[in-house]
Amino acid sequence: MIEVSNLVKRYGGFEAVRGVSFVAGTGKVVGLLGPNGAGKTTIMKVLTGYHRPSSGQALLNDIDVAVDPVAVKSSVGYLAEGVPLYTDMTVREYLDFIAESRQLPAAERAEAIAKACQSCGLKGMDDVRIEHLSKGFRQRVGLAQAILHDPAILILDEPTTGLDPNQILEIRSLIRSLGVNKTVILSTHILQEVEALCSEVIIINEGRIVAQGTTAEIARSLQGEDRLDCLVKLPANAAKDAFSAAKVGAALRASGVIGSCEVEALSGGKLRLKLLTGAGQADDAAAAVFGWAKDQDCTLLDLRREALSLEQIFVQLTGEEAKR
Amino acid sequence: MNRTLTIARKEIQGYFNSPVGWLFVLVFLVACSALFFFMQSFFASDRAELRGFFSLMPLLLSVILPALTMRLWAEEKKQGTYEFLLTMPYTEPELVLGKYLATMAVVGLALVLTFPVPLMVSLFGALDFGQVVTEYLGVLLLASASAAIGQLISSFTRHQISAFIVSVIILTVLNLLAQLPILVELPAVLAGIVNWLSLNHHFISFSRGVLDSRDLFYFIILTLAPLYVTARTIVFGRWR
Repeated sequence: MIEVSNLVKRYGGFEAVRGVSFVAGTGKVVGLLGPNGAGKTTIMKVLTGYHRPSSGQALLNDIDVAVDPVAVKSSVGYLAEGVPLYTDMTVREYLDFIAESRQLPAAERAEAIAKACQSCGLKGMDDVRIEHLSKGFRQRVGLAQAILHDPAILILDEPTTGLDPNQILEIRSLIRSLGVNKTVILSTHILQEVEALCSEVIIINEGRIVAQGTTAEIARSLQGEDRLDCLVKLPANAAKDAFSAAKVGAALRASGVIGSCEVEALSGGKLRLKLLTGAGQADDAAAAVFGWAKDQDCTLLDLRREALSLEQIFVQLTGEEAKR
Repeated sequence: MNRTLTIARKEIQGYFNSPVGWLFVLVFLVACSALFFFMQSFFASDRAELRGFFSLMPLLLSVILPALTMRLWAEEKKQGTYEFLLTMPYTEPELVLGKYLATMAVVGLALVLTFPVPLMVSLFGALDFGQVVTEYLGVLLLASASAAIGQLISSFTRHQISAFIVSVIILTVLNLLAQLPILVELPAVLAGIVNWLSLNHHFISFSRGVLDSRDLFYFIILTLAPLYVTARTIVFGRWR
């Protein structure tokens, strides 16, 4: 369980995180999504106790990071961005050091290490020096390190960067299985990752949360949730300017459920209409289009409804902010 | 305490996983012995005493001890493990103390390996073992202060080489400071201050076989103060 309220982090005069609040419950995989430099890593650094918050509060399993960082660090597993490791150690030496640092009882260490190696696909790599490992394997060592003490909270900063597609799938399925009984926060700028892994998404831009919820919720909360794409065949005897862009637009908007209307005349007496509907009004809008076509004696050739993809939402949210 | 030892063990592993630990011990032994037996013409002086042997150590340590301390924080910063280490459940004093103990363990090993020298000398004549013990204690305290200062300097940078050079300069200056009042005529007060600051000045009484509480106090201060500042530096770095 992670509860963040009004978190602010300043580096000198620069405000990297400007009043962020969210709650991440147990059994959830929460994705922090944002362009580079949005403040994702800073939030994670505060959650792991590396940075002290400038103001606001972060509670991890009801412990305040600023009050008892050592207790928080004990209950958190952290995979830092870029996976820093002690490259002159062997995998075994490294995981031994982590187990000791985590103060696992000596009797349980071997078993914990074996289990973590198993889940991360590190079997048989015990005596390999980390400097000789490929990037994918280093990533696995980093992940093994993070789950070694079976933490209640996992914080993963870009966990799949630099992996090949097979490894990405493996690591994702591992994260998904870990998310069942832990709280997992992961940051990424890969949108498919969020769609594939996360039960909840927090989109961050310039240190602020710009959207929050499940991917479906975020889509719904946005203005112009659905887009209608229609292709209409005009009646053969239609008057020349009866179907001008302005007239069609006005007629459709009169229904009250269609926000904006883009009209494009095609050859062969066809019109392409691109409509944005208000939130939750896609059904009414489709009905309005159908009614209008019937009244005007037009033939509806195609009517498609498109939900905004996460990618479009992301561009809309973070792009707009950038323009401001 | 347990966690401090975990860090110490990790650092010792780091020293001996790379050549730096072995090199330090080797250079220390070779340099001490060669300088003592050949440069100081031990055999010509015809006396069973080790003052010459120990008098070389302060300068030798100022030059080679920074090779051990330079990596302590600079390498963590360079490799990115600095941030990672600080997200492990350690307090800052545990980290600083653990690293200090690791440096001292390597120095201790090097000193133990010099034991054959006094044993050999004692074959030639009656050696004052009490004096030898205070001399070893003096070297250990000198190394302790140097290790603490070296670690502090390493915590300021991410470049090992910078840490090394700055540490060598500071330690050498602290050692040679004792020569200043001899070379230049200084007002008594100033000379007193310069002498008090000098590592070598405090070391000399140990090498005479004298155990003076003021010297002991000096070395303890010069160990604890840099370690304390190192820990504070790390804490402040995270508030920024």
